[in-house]
Amino acid sequence: MNALHAWLTLVGQGFSEWLDAWVRVSRFAMTALIGMLSPATYNKATRLVVQKQIYFTAWQILPGFCVFAALFSYLIIEIVGITARKYGLYEYALELIVRILVLEILPLMTALFVALRTGAAINTEVALMKIQNELDALQRIGIDPMRLELLPRVVGGTISVLALTAVNIVAALWLTHLAIVDFHPWTLTDGDFTRMIGKVLDIPVLLVLWAKTLAFGFAVTVIPISEGLSTPQKLFHAPISVLRGMVRLFFSLMLIEAAALAMVYV
Amino acid sequence: MERRSVHQPRIKHLAVKVGAVLTLIPVIAVGLLLYALYARGMFDSTQALTLNAPDAEGVVIGMPVMFSGFPIGQVSGMALDELGRVRIEVSVKKKDARWLRISSVFSLEKQFLGGAKIRAFSPRMQDPELPAGAERQLVSKDAAQDIPQVIARANSILQNVDEIIRPDSSFNQTLANLKSVTERMAGEYGVLGGVTGSPDQAKKVLDTVDSVNALLASLKGVTARADGVLAKTDDRMFGQGGVMDEAKRSIAQLNTILLEARDSLKKADEVLANA
Repeated sequence: MNALHAWLTLVGQGFSEWLDAWVRVSRFAMTALIGMLSPATYNKATRLVVQKQIYFTAWQILPGFCVFAALFSYLIIEIVGITARKYGLYEYALELIVRILVLEILPLMTALFVALRTGAAINTEVALMKIQNELDALQRIGIDPMRLELLPRVVGGTISVLALTAVNIVAALWLTHLAIVDFHPWTLTDGDFTRMIGKVLDIPVLLVLWAKTLAFGFAVTVIPISEGLSTPQKLFHAPISVLRGMVRLFFSLMLIEAAALAMVYV
Repeated sequence: MERRSVHQPRIKHLAVKVGAVLTLIPVIAVGLLLYALYARGMFDSTQALTLNAPDAEGVVIGMPVMFSGFPIGQVSGMALDELGRVRIEVSVKKKDARWLRISSVFSLEKQFLGGAKIRAFSPRMQDPELPAGAERQLVSKDAAQDIPQVIARANSILQNVDEIIRPDSSFNQTLANLKSVTERMAGEYGVLGGVTGSPDQAKKVLDTVDSVNALLASLKGVTARADGVLAKTDDRMFGQGGVMDEAKRSIAQLNTILLEARDSLKKADEVLANA
């Protein structure tokens, strides 16, 4: 009986902690969203910080990541194309590539990459700032850490995911045309390609695509920051904070992806 | 732990780079939207065509209308009329509308694999062009429709084949007989063996043929002799001084004797009358 009681208490505590964490994340997300959208946030100082964040999280990685994404896309396009040709279903290869690669894999892959590169770094940074009381110190000398430290990172991360996804999508569409239509001109024509684009990319699909990418970008920075902010002030909690932040971020990304899929296909 | 505040170096053309990234996103988003709209034929001038069909199964909005394998338009809408028939609205690109003539036939082809296709076929290109807003019948061609019938027929054919190839079927027995016949034909006595059924029988037949041959040879001798006899008989009967000649002469003599006898009888009559 005691064991059961102890177990139930454990489960209840775990659930309540889990719920608390999500409530914290959503509360911070709301604050960040309002902060991002209010023009008062952007004075000269914050504008410079935001510009630097965009530079570090988007501009710096744009060429390298786009080359990688293009190679990856080309590989997938060729695999799908060759397999489809083997089974005589070449005209369906185009649709498959656009639906799977352009609409799903590339945005998710970009979000995961930015999460690994920027999200993990932000989580560690914010956790250390919290542990070393830097945020309180800033507050005390009259600098709002939300406006000068946290919001610029959210803006930078979101812009980064949006820009990288946009460039990758254009590159993947161009590579699809190259690999499926230009390299095999006797199978499909420009007309087939355009018609398929028209069939797959309708207005709701495009809206869901950009909404999803925006949500990815937002989650990639908001969840690590919120997790970093809730780190207990002990140094050994820093890695635990990063671990939790990354796991939560992964599940959030998957949740957003599943919701987007449900919106388009259900 | 002391953490050094991050000293960020001055970045060259920071504003330009950030501006480029910020412009990239809306440019790509709008570009993609415009391309999608263009691909959906939003910027093409089109003309309407209505196709009436009994059944709209397999027809979806956005489905292409093909002419000789090229898409010339697409289904823009579908609705049921008051009689329950399907009215399929098709928008045909203005520049491709010239391929449609008033004699054009439209067919909905359902395939085993993949979506259905609406095909237009213009048998006579010299006919006048199809006017905008025309109504045509959509003929349905379903590759899967005939399958049950085809399967039923194939089944009965297969059953017959089954009957034929069964070990105890008459066809098999015939083949077996044919085999034994041909085997015998290939034997010592050839075709004769095949026909008679066994080598012994074939041998008998050959013996019989031999005997008949011998018989014919002896018959030949007999007829030769008979010929000789007949020639001699002819000679005796009808030849110079033959039986016939003698008979003729005898008959002439007999005639004179009879004449003499008549005269004698006449004389005797006279004698009797005078007596």
